[in-house]
Amino acid sequence: MKYIIKKFITLIITLLFISLITFTAFSVIPGDAATAKLGTNATPEQAQQLREEMGLDDPIPVRYVNWLAGALHGDFGDSYQYSGVTVAALMAGRLPVTALLALMSLVMILVISVPLGILSARFAGRWLDTVINQLSQITMAVPAFFLGIVLTYIFGLILHWFQPGAFVEPGEDFWGCAGFLVFPAIAVALPKIAMVIKFLRNSVLSEMPKDYVRTAYSKGNKEHRVLYVHILRNALIPVITFIAMVIAEIMAGSIIVEQVFGIPGIGRLLITSISARDYPVVQAIVTYITAIVVIVNFIVDVLYQLVDPRVKAQ
Amino acid sequence: MDIAVKKKRNYNLIIGLGITGFFLLLAIVGQFWTPYSTTQMDAMSVNLAPCVSHPLGTDNFGRDILSRVMSGSGMTFLVAACTVLMGAVIGTIVGAFTGYFGGWLDEIIMRLNDILLSFPSILLALIFLSFLGPGTMNVILALGILFVPSFARIVRSEMIRCRELDFVKSAKVMGVGPVRIIFAHILPNTKVSMLTAAAIGFNNAVLSEASMSYLGLGVAPPLPSLGRMLSEAQSYLFNTPWYAIAPGVAIILIILGFSMISEGLRAMQR
Amino acid sequence: MGTLFNVSHLSIGFAENGRMNKVVDDLSFSMDEGEILGVVGESGSGKSMTALAAMGLLKPDAHILSGQIHFDGKELLSLSKDEQSRIKGNDMAMIFQEPMTSLNPVMKIGRQVGESLWLHTDMNKKDIHQSVVQALADVGLNDPEKLCGQYPHELSGGMRQRVMIAQAMICSPKLLIADEPTTALDVVVQEQILQLLKQLHREKGVAILFISHDLNVIREICDRVIVMYQGVIVEQGRVQDVLEHPQHEYTKTLMACVPAAEPVKDRKNPVLTMEHLDVYYRENNGGFFKKKGRRRVVRDLSLQVYDGEIMGIVGESGCGKSTLAKTIVGLNKDYTGTLSVDDSVRPQMVFQDPFGSLNPARRIGWILSEPLRLRGIKDKSERRRMVCEMLEQIGLDESFYSRYAHELSGGQRQRISIGAALLMDSRLLVADEPVSALDVTVQSQILRLLLDVHRQRALTILFISHDLNIVRRFCHRVAVIYLGEIVEMADVKEIYAHPRHPYTKLLFEAAPGGGRQPEKLPEPEVPEADAGGTDGVRSEGALTSGQTEHTCGCAFYPRCKYRTPRCQSQAPERINVSADEKNPHWVKCFAAAFGRQ
Repeated sequence: MKYIIKKFITLIITLLFISLITFTAFSVIPGDAATAKLGTNATPEQAQQLREEMGLDDPIPVRYVNWLAGALHGDFGDSYQYSGVTVAALMAGRLPVTALLALMSLVMILVISVPLGILSARFAGRWLDTVINQLSQITMAVPAFFLGIVLTYIFGLILHWFQPGAFVEPGEDFWGCAGFLVFPAIAVALPKIAMVIKFLRNSVLSEMPKDYVRTAYSKGNKEHRVLYVHILRNALIPVITFIAMVIAEIMAGSIIVEQVFGIPGIGRLLITSISARDYPVVQAIVTYITAIVVIVNFIVDVLYQLVDPRVKAQ
Repeated sequence: MDIAVKKKRNYNLIIGLGITGFFLLLAIVGQFWTPYSTTQMDAMSVNLAPCVSHPLGTDNFGRDILSRVMSGSGMTFLVAACTVLMGAVIGTIVGAFTGYFGGWLDEIIMRLNDILLSFPSILLALIFLSFLGPGTMNVILALGILFVPSFARIVRSEMIRCRELDFVKSAKVMGVGPVRIIFAHILPNTKVSMLTAAAIGFNNAVLSEASMSYLGLGVAPPLPSLGRMLSEAQSYLFNTPWYAIAPGVAIILIILGFSMISEGLRAMQR
Repeated sequence: MGTLFNVSHLSIGFAENGRMNKVVDDLSFSMDEGEILGVVGESGSGKSMTALAAMGLLKPDAHILSGQIHFDGKELLSLSKDEQSRIKGNDMAMIFQEPMTSLNPVMKIGRQVGESLWLHTDMNKKDIHQSVVQALADVGLNDPEKLCGQYPHELSGGMRQRVMIAQAMICSPKLLIADEPTTALDVVVQEQILQLLKQLHREKGVAILFISHDLNVIREICDRVIVMYQGVIVEQGRVQDVLEHPQHEYTKTLMACVPAAEPVKDRKNPVLTMEHLDVYYRENNGGFFKKKGRRRVVRDLSLQVYDGEIMGIVGESGCGKSTLAKTIVGLNKDYTGTLSVDDSVRPQMVFQDPFGSLNPARRIGWILSEPLRLRGIKDKSERRRMVCEMLEQIGLDESFYSRYAHELSGGQRQRISIGAALLMDSRLLVADEPVSALDVTVQSQILRLLLDVHRQRALTILFISHDLNIVRRFCHRVAVIYLGEIVEMADVKEIYAHPRHPYTKLLFEAAPGGGRQPEKLPEPEVPEADAGGTDGVRSEGALTSGQTEHTCGCAFYPRCKYRTPRCQSQAPERINVSADEKNPHWVKCFAAAFGRQ
């Protein structure tokens, strides 16, 4: 319990720290809400007046606290590029799509890579392992966006399994939306599947020469029992941490893949907002991504403690 | 009993070096000579399929794709080299001193490192670029800063590992100063892991640069870049698929080359 | 009695650089039911290979080239894997050298110990649990019920080795293979494990194939012994016969070993003086939340080392002897009290692990030149000349100049370490277990080298060791350390002839071949300091790790046979029990002070 509380405090500190850094960074770069709102025709006096009204002349710590107080209520201010639309509303519309995409790719990754990784380790050095190994090495080198383009070409333009550019909101037709997301999810998942296979295989292989494995054999355990009862639990411990990294990678991948397939998700919003210098939106999305990465790491730390009895002792 | 004993060759390293060497050569030649101009548009030869005069075809402006791939590879290597160099130099210095001396500064820097390392580099590059704005120099700067933690972590962990080893203690007993211990005694031991990290760094840098350029945040036109070529090619995918294939395959092979080198180096460590 | 285990014409080889390297060459021997057979030899002699082959545990790069292994009427090598695994853990079981790593870290003790029963019998869960509890009790572990629910990292090394033995014995095997089962343990714990094996042998009639590099351990436990050298048996027979009348040259060198120091002439100049020295050890766990511990590992230590003598320091692992060494050479500055080293001696250190003490990325020539660079010798060819001279002096030659450390054997590396210290022009060598990682024959070579340089340069040596046999011959004086305190200190002859402190006696009795007739002492288990919290696992008389910082009373009180109420509340002062003023015999014990034994 003490361990979890410690990790939780770390989580809060990390979140505050990163949001402070990003807030400061966005505050010092040129261009602010006042000029964005008024457009290029405004006089400096008008801009100054609006700045004072909006509280933009306050020192950064004051503005940060105000922003944080708003953020805690889900209020991230107004978007610059879409006047009159709140950041929260913009994000709320896109969040479900991105979440569904991420979830689908995560499921694909776990379902495919865990069995293949174990299989590959079990037959290490044999043809099956060699095939899996070579395929994963090549797959890992394929950037998600190129994979997306290839999938679009083959399955969209040649085979007509889906229509490139078409989309339904998950609120309207959930399964229809999930159908549209299958190929994007594959584009996100495939390189990561290769990564997890390789990591799991190496983790299992690095356990194999250990003394306790020899002890297990000396008791008369057969090979598959040594693998599944003794080695696997030890080998999965580092994989848990790795999965946290993969989840972060999924988010990175989905930003790009949304762009390739034209999916109206958080990633696409981020890219357009960066290009349009729509800082409130960028700031909110960065905070949101940070929160997910940090929370996933927290969950992993807690899981870790459940799986590895040695953590409690430290 | 007859048992064939063969020394296993490091195919990963050999093939990886081969691929990387080929593209490096292509890129270097591309800086001085290309079959056609990389920016000259030619209304007469728009969207040509691969043929004898244009081995990889032409794009929607009639520019020769092979020339643009050669020149774009050069850009990719340049960005990757700059970022890895920047990350390696700063990372080594930070990691060496924090790792060897430890203390609260080390703790703070490593906490920061851990946080940064839990984010994928593409994501961080995007965040950095949202502060800095798009552009080639900014991509190099953003990626360079991003690679500092991974190098710092490797050097630091080697420092911590070696700091506790007897050969370092014995140097301390002799009265060797800390700077000499760090650079003359410990750093030579990090050679292989540094090379591996550099290969992985190149791998990440190529991928990130291509992604940024694809998203329109990286290398600015009219300079050719593999990622940007892909994003342009996407619009003409149905009619001219070869436009997408050439830069895509080039990116894959460059990344594959570096990842095979890092695999090979890791096999050497064992 | 019938033959239980028979090896005939067994050859095992490793593939190396395209050549087949034989490690076991046409080996034949047999053992009877209920016999304890010892196999002795140094590392690389192939002594473990036979056992691993019988258990089907050889590494994939080891190949059985020819031969047969018969066990209980079956030829093991021709059996299928399934048939082999029916025998393993059931009729034939094995325990290993490293108790710290040989248990599965994420599986509870109860399940690990009971696994053999689960595999080889059709007992139900409840019966298995009953048997496990019984087996754990049989190997002398307290509170087996609680132990079943614990994980290996919660146990000390000695306890883990007991768990390993319980696990191996649970199916009542006919043959127990013990591969260096006590090598990683302290002398006192080693003695306990040996006693336990003897007891199991007596009570259950199990045959034991006991593999060790240590003749003294073999002498203590075995009926018959096989001496192996480079893959072949060079000698075999009854233990007494072989050890008392060794026939083969190799056995003789194994027996001879420790060279003796010449007596020191006079003790006048102290080169190293410690008075009321307390040394602290900082436990830096890292992290903002973790508390940084500062543990006192050496307490109130007073000791003078005189010019030209060899001072021995003995004690169990975790007693603070290595920390003391590091403090003397200046690697640890966290101490209070007086520590003064004569400026002219430039203390240098020789470390235990020959594989960590030389820089792997640098050539030997560079490593040996470093001291000269520090001494300000700028001329490159001059440095090279001096290094080559030193290489000759430490029994190597110029060709080593351009080699890397990984091309050298353990003994050669220790020679380089000694050479580096000499090139610093050191006259005080702090040697922390300098030979304990080496084979017996190499040990004696390195000790001889140390004695040579000691004689030639009037070198003072602080010799830290756990090996009482070596200290007895190699040192002039001995200090016995228990939990950071010197409990007894005297001339070697005096202390070995008349040990006064109960702890010294316990050590000498536990040491195989090191002590006199055993006198039964209560023998509580000592968990290693690094074993983590294990409070209450061994109940009475147990020393738990938290107990290292005691507040009052004698440190040895919990384990002492002669303890009195006074010992608990009051710490004894050190007193001299020798009549000879020049050669004091210091003891920290009330019983010794009153002459009561």
